[in-house]
Amino acid sequence: MKADVQAISSAQTTTKKRQGHSAQNRFNTKWGLIFLSPWIFGFFVFTLIPIIATLIFSFTNYSAVTPESTVWVGLKNYSDMIADKDVANSFMVTIKYAILALPLSLVFGLLLATIVNSKYLMGKNFFRTIYYMPAMIPVIAAGIIMAGIMNTNTGFINLGLESVGIPGPDWLNSTFWIYPALVLIGLWGLGNLMVTLLAGMQGVSKELYESAEIDGANGWQQYLYITLPLISPVIFYNLTIMLIGAFKYFDLAYVLKNGTGGPAGATNFYNLYLYKNAFQYNLMGYGSAMAWVLFIIVLTLTILLFTTSGRWVFYSGGKQ
Amino acid sequence: MYKRIATLISVVIVLSVLLTACTTATPVAPTTASTSVAAPGVTNIRWFVGLGSGGNPEEVKKEKVFVTKFNTENPQYNLKLDIVVNATAYDILKTQIASGDAPDIVGPLGIRGFSSFQGAWLDMSPYTKKYNYDYSGYDPSMLTFLNAGDQGTLGLPFAIYPSALWYNKALFDEAGLAYPPHKVGDKYTLDGKQVDWTFDTLKTVAMRLSQDSTGLTPNDAGFDPAKQVQWGYDAMWTDLRGQWTFFGPGSFVASDGVTAQLPDVWKTAARWYYDGMWTSHFIPTANYVASDLLAQGNTFGSGHVAMTPIHTWYLNNSQKVVWDVGAIPSYNGTTTAKMHADTFGILKTAKNPDASFQVLSIMMQKYAADLCDAYGGLPAALDLQAARIKTLQAAWPGVDFQVFIDDVKYADHPNHESAMPNFDKASSTYSNFFQLYTTKGDIDLNAELANLVKNMQTVFDQIKPIQ
Amino acid sequence: MTTANKVRSSMGVRRSDQINKILVTGFGLFIVLMFLAPLVYMFVTGLKSYDQMDDSEVPAIWPFSRTTFEYQGNPLDLYKVPTANGTKEMAMLKPGRTESEFIDPQNPVAGPITWVGNWRVLPAVYHSDPQWKNFVQAWNELNFPLLLRNTLIIALTGTFGAVVSAIIVAYGFARFNFRGKDILFIILIGTIVLPVQATLIPTYILFSKIHWTNTFLPLIVPHFFANAYNVFLLRMYFMQLPRELDEAAMIDGANPFKILWYVILPQSLPAVTAVSLFHFFFAWNDFFSPLVYLASNSKLWPISVGLQSYNAMHGRLPNLIQTGALITIILPVTIFFLAQRVFMQGIVFTGVEK
Repeated sequence: MKADVQAISSAQTTTKKRQGHSAQNRFNTKWGLIFLSPWIFGFFVFTLIPIIATLIFSFTNYSAVTPESTVWVGLKNYSDMIADKDVANSFMVTIKYAILALPLSLVFGLLLATIVNSKYLMGKNFFRTIYYMPAMIPVIAAGIIMAGIMNTNTGFINLGLESVGIPGPDWLNSTFWIYPALVLIGLWGLGNLMVTLLAGMQGVSKELYESAEIDGANGWQQYLYITLPLISPVIFYNLTIMLIGAFKYFDLAYVLKNGTGGPAGATNFYNLYLYKNAFQYNLMGYGSAMAWVLFIIVLTLTILLFTTSGRWVFYSGGKQ
Repeated sequence: MYKRIATLISVVIVLSVLLTACTTATPVAPTTASTSVAAPGVTNIRWFVGLGSGGNPEEVKKEKVFVTKFNTENPQYNLKLDIVVNATAYDILKTQIASGDAPDIVGPLGIRGFSSFQGAWLDMSPYTKKYNYDYSGYDPSMLTFLNAGDQGTLGLPFAIYPSALWYNKALFDEAGLAYPPHKVGDKYTLDGKQVDWTFDTLKTVAMRLSQDSTGLTPNDAGFDPAKQVQWGYDAMWTDLRGQWTFFGPGSFVASDGVTAQLPDVWKTAARWYYDGMWTSHFIPTANYVASDLLAQGNTFGSGHVAMTPIHTWYLNNSQKVVWDVGAIPSYNGTTTAKMHADTFGILKTAKNPDASFQVLSIMMQKYAADLCDAYGGLPAALDLQAARIKTLQAAWPGVDFQVFIDDVKYADHPNHESAMPNFDKASSTYSNFFQLYTTKGDIDLNAELANLVKNMQTVFDQIKPIQ
Repeated sequence: MTTANKVRSSMGVRRSDQINKILVTGFGLFIVLMFLAPLVYMFVTGLKSYDQMDDSEVPAIWPFSRTTFEYQGNPLDLYKVPTANGTKEMAMLKPGRTESEFIDPQNPVAGPITWVGNWRVLPAVYHSDPQWKNFVQAWNELNFPLLLRNTLIIALTGTFGAVVSAIIVAYGFARFNFRGKDILFIILIGTIVLPVQATLIPTYILFSKIHWTNTFLPLIVPHFFANAYNVFLLRMYFMQLPRELDEAAMIDGANPFKILWYVILPQSLPAVTAVSLFHFFFAWNDFFSPLVYLASNSKLWPISVGLQSYNAMHGRLPNLIQTGALITIILPVTIFFLAQRVFMQGIVFTGVEK
């Protein structure tokens, strides 16, 4: 009897809970979709069709120049990609760059943001502006500047190095030194990264620092145990964006080397090779296949990043 | 807080409005290039400029004047000009063709432009036959450039740009050297002796014309190539085939159309250039060419390179140099002066191919002189050439233009821009080699040349006809 | 803490504060110098004339011109020539490998003086000659006011749309848990993975079919429907904000819109500023898309396209490009400076307010 009553009452409570949950769910779903609607609309109108078109192209021999003679070739583009040495090479180039660039960029960006956020810095506005300025310069001007500065014989960097007796490396023509060169140029343009980290740092409540100070924590400890964990979402965001960006790397390599991918293929980034195939070699179908392989790989990496993020990313708004 | 944001935003807006208010801006309503309404009876023909020359401000001015003149004198047509900068014109045109929004006439463009858009061009031979196009006034050897084998007739003869050896008189004077001969076959005076004007002679002369910052030449002990400030020779603003064709015309494609090859003369040319850059130091390497010292590629125009073989379209690019032109040196008894030939093409997707062809014929026949004047070329029509030379000679009194005319005889057949299977990828492949041998002084040249042929073969094999 | 302790610790803190200030500011300045070096090169190059750029005998560090002397109608370069009476500045009439002829500017009628030796070892005489007129020339030839107007239209309207839509969509992702949200988020991220080079032609065909090519519309309208980068950033930031305030407002009867406007936004100004700046500068410098959609219509070109076409048209003018680029960044720098003062004064959220 008692068991029955208990069973019924627990069933009732569960029903109430479920009803309460589903009311909550309905509320969330309705408002969630309302707020997401602009994006959903835009997605269907502007983004979905080109994406599907690219997928279809990848199964054809579509060429921009002779669109009327397109035929279905099935998986030929994809199998060609496997055999194409340049595809593998362009992957290696992209990974080589990413391995060098991502950690260095994060560290340097953190450094800049920390400096600018520091209470010991005099003239914050000045520093913020100078650190951000290179990010405002159009890529074509930046490319010319950097090509000039890094010229092996006449560039300032090498002239400066030689004046202290160090032989200047062949920045833009050595298959080894081109990567540090690109990374250095990237570090110069890190303004956006700095701004997001800064925004994150400024969102950390001062109370936390004050109570830590009272507890006797010094500056370093505060940084390690308060600042970094609390801006871990920002770091995570930047890591994701930079990872995607590394695989789409194009502008600077194109401007610096006139789209040739030199020296000897060392700047033949995956996206650059994609562009060459699609536009220069009139092999748009092949380029689209490359794009979809990229899509799958990067999306997988991103999802991996997301699923492992739970361990080290801390959202102060509570568990999501 | 919001008040400050509102203030900032309003400040920005006011600033922007003020800035743009004091502009000579044009009405906001944008004009769509291809949807203008034609008056009844008037055919719209869209003309796309940018694949070749035609993008310079001076050229643009002359093109606009020409279009007005054309439309006035030919009221049944409405020629509309679309000018796109060369660096991006290829991508833009491809996008336009893909979207069905393509122009009718494209030009001026050279042989390379045609090859990049292989398959998109209209074969004009039905129309040339229909309208009995008059080919009589043209040099027949120039006509071969326009017939692309199985693709038919792609253009009507328009302009040619012969090349010659441009030399910097001041640098020759400073070195105490005689100027190069102007006529093919004439001898050159070197150290009081008369020698043949060959590439070997050129090398000797060029080495004396190269100097480092202390005035030493590559012949002197202590010459420092890292501090070089002057070079004797540079085949500038061209690609690998363009450099090598001076030793003798050839092709990467054997006569069967599918096998990759490297002609022997080109092997010799490769060795000569490599030696010139890395051992004898009279040709600038890629690093120097890209530097400010050599005007980022305009090496002859910087005044630091003594000789360059280049075409008539270069006329306005070396303002501060006192120059003249001489004969291209010979190799193994033959002289080759590479040729550029420009024309206009019609796209297959043109809305009114017949009208396009008629417009084009009128342009090429009635207005050839105006157009050649705009682009700096020599008219392909022989009767117009003499008049053009007179105009050029008057504008450039110190230059011997007869050299250019003479060099037409020595044009390269097959042309250094001629078609190859999988053209763009093949071009890219040999450009990679070009980059390699102009930036690395320590490669095994023979091995790399063999690699080049292998890579070209791979590229040629990628294009199999669709079954 | 006792008063004595407070005073003692504040004095000690003050001294080490000073040291820290110097250290941190000094280090920051060091990095500033490295950042400024390319900008200095940009500025110096922008001030050079074409002749100054390829002159091998003047230092490249500043626009220097050769000092010349007019002789018989021709300007002759001056060199420092060692003579019997010390080093004199003489005008080079005829250079030669072993001997050269000079004219003495103080005594031109004396005729050519021969000097034996290699003229290349002689230092050249030069003077500072910055070409401020490059700025004027770039301004006029680029038709800067028109380019500026176009760029402002594209950048400002785009930024407005991008920020508003990103805030709305990010709020949806951050605060509402419903089934399928994660899938939608993955799709959102997916939209930025495909490079524009791949989707360009289908997108162009789409826009050309609805007759939006050669207008600003393809460059502005899509941004009104939330861009993944911005949404991702704002979502991440919103998720940081504690839910207590949201819940308090909800208890007071506020609907989600009100919560967004009165609760979430005021706390997110640094992130919203960041998004605005990102989009603004992205649109300001975006080159590829405007180029493709506005190719035939030069009256609508933004600065990036105008600058690039100017560069290409004149056969590479690195000095004028830099001048053009310098003019380009003055307005954004000003806006950035102003935006800082308003938004980034260290907005501090000090816990749950009642």
